Amino acid sequence: MSLTKKSDQQDVQKVDRVELTPASRVVECENAYTLTVELPGVSEKEIELTLENRVLSITAENTLEVFKDYTLVLHELPEARYRAAFDLPDHVDTAGIKAATKNGLLVLTLPKREEVKPRRIAVKAG
Amino acid sequence: MRAYLNTINNPWRVFDEVMGDFPFDLFDIALRTRARRYPRVNVWESEDGLAVQAEVAGVEPDKLDVAVDANILTIKGEREQADGSRAEFQRSFNLPFELENDKIKATIKNGLLTVKIPRKPIEKRKIAIEKL
Repeated sequence: MSLTKKSDQQDVQKVDRVELTPASRVVECENAYTLTVELPGVSEKEIELTLENRVLSITAENTLEVFKDYTLVLHELPEARYRAAFDLPDHVDTAGIKAATKNGLLVLTLPKREEVKPRRIAVKAG
Repeated sequence: MRAYLNTINNPWRVFDEVMGDFPFDLFDIALRTRARRYPRVNVWESEDGLAVQAEVAGVEPDKLDVAVDANILTIKGEREQADGSRAEFQRSFNLPFELENDKIKATIKNGLLTVKIPRKPIEKRKIAIEKL
């Protein structure tokens, strides 16, 4: 019987990850903001999205392949932990936030609340 | 600093510098805009061949081109930016050996490109020495 704690075994396998802020951009449309975050090498399971007090936090870890019987001769890609946090403005409808991944990008749609969307007001003849 | 030391010792660097990007390594990793023009890579080497992983987030697989010409490996592609405009990127490596350019295996997953290329077998030929 082994008395080793499970957490101890996990510690051994842990990699020292470099903390990185991912490249990101926000585009404003009429009805929503689109927030795109570059997370190369990150599968959707490794992305953690949390919303707390109108702060949207993103944490993600990438997976790099280790080639057996090969030697690493040029090392630029680190085992990374990506972290980013965004203060959402009041007029974002947090309940309607949608997230999707595509080609290593995380695309978040942040819809605006109904009352701030542009709206036409019909003018009636008196 | 580690990246800078890499420049001096690493034969893989040479080609990029010849291409007119002198402080390449020093600034590339630090400056995101440049890192996006030149995808960052991990290069692995073995007796069988070469394996490369490159960061190409936001690139459609059909907009990516991997080619080997003698001993120069080129990865180039086009990414669509948030505003809809297109940005091209390219990176070349001068390899210390020749590769089989018709046996390139490239896969892309979550914006990470993986390329595996076998080495070209070295042809050994005996040269007969004639007696004069």
